[in-house]
Amino acid sequence: MVKLTIDGKEVKVPAGTTILAAAKSAGISIPTLCFHGRLDPIGSCRMCVVEIEGCAHPMAACTTPVVEGISVTTNSERLQRIRKDSLKLILVNHPLDCPICDKGGECLLQDLVYEFGIDRVEYQTPKPERSSQYATPLIRYWPDRCIMCLRCVTACREIKGIGAIDIKGAGYGSQVVVIDEDKCQSCGECLQVCPTGALTENLSRYKGRPWLVKRVPTTCTYCGCGCQLELNVEQNRVMAVTTKEGKGVNRGSLCVKGRFGYEFINSEERLTKPLIKKDGEFREASWDDALSLVAEKFKSIKEESGPDAIAGLSSARCTNEENYLFQKFMRAVIGTNNVDHCARL
Amino acid sequence: MAEILFSSWGGEVVDNRGKEPQDFETVGKVSLPEYFQQDEEIKALIGWYGIVLRSAEVNVVDLCRTYMEEVQQQSCGKCFLCRIGTRVIADTLGRLCRGQGRPADLELIAGLAESISESSKCNIGQSGPLPLLHALEHFADDFAAAAGGAAVPAGKYRSRLTAPCMDACPIHLDIPTYVECIKEGKFQESLEVIRERLPLPGVVGRVCVRPCEEHCRRANLDEAISIKFLKRFVADYELDHGREPEYQVVPSAKTGKVAIVGAGPAGVTCAYHLARKGHQVTIYERLGEPGGMSAVGIPDYRLPRQILRHEVEMIQKLGVTIHYNTEVGKDVKLSQLEADFDAVFVAIGAHLSSSMRVEGEDAGYQGFIPGVKYLLDINSGIDPYPEGKKVVVVGGGNVAIDCVRCSFRIGKEDVNLVYRRTEKEMPADDVEIHDAKEEKVNFHFLTQPIKVLAENGKVVGLECIKMQLGEPDESGRRRPEPVEGSEFVIDCDIVVPAIGQTIDLSLLEGVDNVKTTRWHTIVVNEDTKQTENPKIFSAGDCETGPGALITACAGGRKAAFNIDKFINDEPLVATENDYFDKFFSQVKVYDPQEEIGFIGGRPRYQLKMLPPDTRKYTFDEVEQGFSPQEAMAEADRCLRCYRVATIAVG
Ligand SMILES: Cc1cc2nc3c(=O)[nH]c(=O)nc-3n(C[C@H](O)[C@H](O)[C@H](O)COP(=O)(O)OP(=O)(O)OC[C@H]3O[C@@H](n4cnc5c(N)ncnc54)[C@H](O)[C@@H]3O)c2cc1C
Ligand code: SF4
Ligand code: FES
Repeated sequence: MVKLTIDGKEVKVPAGTTILAAAKSAGISIPTLCFHGRLDPIGSCRMCVVEIEGCAHPMAACTTPVVEGISVTTNSERLQRIRKDSLKLILVNHPLDCPICDKGGECLLQDLVYEFGIDRVEYQTPKPERSSQYATPLIRYWPDRCIMCLRCVTACREIKGIGAIDIKGAGYGSQVVVIDEDKCQSCGECLQVCPTGALTENLSRYKGRPWLVKRVPTTCTYCGCGCQLELNVEQNRVMAVTTKEGKGVNRGSLCVKGRFGYEFINSEERLTKPLIKKDGEFREASWDDALSLVAEKFKSIKEESGPDAIAGLSSARCTNEENYLFQKFMRAVIGTNNVDHCARL
Repeated sequence: MAEILFSSWGGEVVDNRGKEPQDFETVGKVSLPEYFQQDEEIKALIGWYGIVLRSAEVNVVDLCRTYMEEVQQQSCGKCFLCRIGTRVIADTLGRLCRGQGRPADLELIAGLAESISESSKCNIGQSGPLPLLHALEHFADDFAAAAGGAAVPAGKYRSRLTAPCMDACPIHLDIPTYVECIKEGKFQESLEVIRERLPLPGVVGRVCVRPCEEHCRRANLDEAISIKFLKRFVADYELDHGREPEYQVVPSAKTGKVAIVGAGPAGVTCAYHLARKGHQVTIYERLGEPGGMSAVGIPDYRLPRQILRHEVEMIQKLGVTIHYNTEVGKDVKLSQLEADFDAVFVAIGAHLSSSMRVEGEDAGYQGFIPGVKYLLDINSGIDPYPEGKKVVVVGGGNVAIDCVRCSFRIGKEDVNLVYRRTEKEMPADDVEIHDAKEEKVNFHFLTQPIKVLAENGKVVGLECIKMQLGEPDESGRRRPEPVEGSEFVIDCDIVVPAIGQTIDLSLLEGVDNVKTTRWHTIVVNEDTKQTENPKIFSAGDCETGPGALITACAGGRKAAFNIDKFINDEPLVATENDYFDKFFSQVKVYDPQEEIGFIGGRPRYQLKMLPPDTRKYTFDEVEQGFSPQEAMAEADRCLRCYRVATIAVG
């Protein structure tokens, strides 16, 4: 264990802990912007700077591991000046289009600017030339809103292990670009971690404000993994799918289907009751009737042509246990080995 | 030397403005060269430690504007303050210089410069605005005048990016970038950065003498970054994953045929760069395998042979032909190559052992084996003298250490090293000395051999005399002097002199205008590696005398660029980069005294090693590489010490 003091309070943490985490464990909050709990510290925003006694330079709390005996100050005039300058520089060009931004109301930048009371920016420079059109049919990128915190780049690399996007260029003109089109799977991990409205979902643009939607926790049905997600519901329609950081087996991650494949829920064409064809026409039926019909048919086919006339094809959307039961059913009840699975095809 | 008017370099403020020349104070922190290149004077320097002004003609506002513009161009964009803040400052200075400034601007940029410098993520942002703050303080009148609308004349400037490690590296690898790539898990990209200059990352990543680590700024906090082993890690990672490098070939306008003599580090690096420019390269090598001294000198427990072979094979895939077992001078004449090829690169290394000037060394005794020959045999799987069991190696360099450490590995029982100065003066790598001690080599310091003793033509002992340290000599090391009457004998049956190598120049017979020095090295133009015979170039140990692998590679690379120019009928002259290299070597990019102002407390990650008792008897590689996690954590310690220098010239 390493002992240190933060704002005069003695703290004891395991070696390797960052100053930011140590402060948090002591109930001391340090402002952060680029830091994200699921990513290795990035260190791009410098909001978390702290002073360490005996060191001339402030240091970023999120990237600096604790050292025995140090004394840390998390707030001072100097630190406030640096933090404010960091935010002001972002605001030099960040558009104030909050009223039409999907992130309005849950934007970290908005919160911080509010918290620091930044009402004017005295710095000026023209907008950077950003040619980048990092976008997929599902993900929309707003280069003007991008603060280049690099959370997206880091998430793509660290969480997904893909590295489809990266920072390119130099200085003010640097931008987030797709470095490998083929690698991007549109999983949306990037937009999940984006603290501002720079990465938004293309499907749900302008459909609901974050504070108006109801978030309904549920389990994704696309495969047997059991990812936890939240349906964002407004007027009984699903507007978007989000996750809670660290929650469930997926810890907040989703794949392209889980995150974007929700439109079927409110689709007009979606079946919600079984249909039985009678006289060449589908009619609504009860589950009991439908299941009895299927059982009867199986039975008669089996009697007429033997069990091998029947084959079963199971689905990757089922769990292992369900798939196990299914093959058991085919073998023990129907009496055939004709059983396969869509993921194997 | 022309006097300095003002300097704030490294925290030392010397202000001679308005003083009579005889009252000028001298500047201690920096020595500013007078000329950048011939006929181009250096009038001012602005850079990471401050401003140095030689000429009153320089407009400091314009100097700052140029410099801050360059800092902005070099900002990596990975932290807010540096990315946007330096843009705002450069723009504001631009307005001031165009006469569109406002008095309020000055306070604005001063405050911003402070915030950027105090909190940026890396040294570009930390050091970048620092000299601007000095300028605003000490040249306030100039800034006020500019803000008031006074004309600001534009000067002529040159700027360059550097870093302490990068500057110290003879081949100037872009170390901060390749280390940063590793930190971000981009191992392939990291290798590509290295291979831009160096085709042997696996070899150099194992045995480099690493001047970069001696100049690593992190050492001012705790310990230097493990730059060498990070290089090894990315090379190994590629190999372990069965990948092969994809080299880009960009043919020059004119391509030609080049002969290279010697497949050592200098030869293969030159071949690699020439092949990437589309030239047809043929290497002639006396031995049966590539690598030169790194194959037959450096033992396998430090550098497994397959690593070297693999990296040379990859170079051969670029279309380079190697004729092994072909000695130039004997099997084919150098004059013939000169006639048949558009250019010839001579990289024959230094393979003759220097003499010790002691009695009995020329008598041809059995058991008297020069160091280079001793290692060559061992590396070829031969015990040079199976009868002998007790070894004395003479010398204090890496070759001597390799000889002693190899001796155990071929079953010698008693292994001694004789060196005439103390351990502190030994030129061998500290790590190597430490490892040899762990393996229980007997060190005899302050000991000088005087006679090889023999019976029936076989070595039986080495007579030595004790030494003591006297006055410092021209190298700054205290000169050892014999202690009278202190002669003694070390019983042994093998004596291995390893005090240095010289160069076998016999191949030069029959070619014109290749000059040599009295130390038997080949004379070349240091910027172009061309000899006085325009078709013949040379570098590596045969140009510098026995040196280090990376220096040989750097020489090979420089030769390749100039051979390419030669074939393309371009003038062979020093480049701006060459001049900046010289400039930096005088101005000094690394200051071991610099107070960094951060907390350290993060020692470097150590490699796992085979234990001394096991490793001492095998040629298996002693050092085991980093795991990806260890490599990334080690790379995360890097401070990314990029910094910009701008000079006003005229
Ligand atoms: C024992 C030992 C240990 C060393 N350890 C290290 C170390 O740990 N780190 C480090 O950085 N450096 C080390 N060095 C130094 C390093 O090996 C050399 O500086 C480097 O190999 C020089 O490269 P080069 O290409 O100039 O010459 P060499 O490597 O010597 O290559 C020259 C090549 O030319 C060939 N050749 C010579 N004459 C002819 C001819 N007439 N015709 C055809 N071919 C010819 C030779 O056979 C050889 O292959 C060590 C050297 C020795 C001897
Ligand atoms: S800390 Fe990194 S950039 Fe700085 S000198 Fe060391 S290796 Fe180079
Ligand atoms: S939160 Fe630490 S630098 Fe952004």
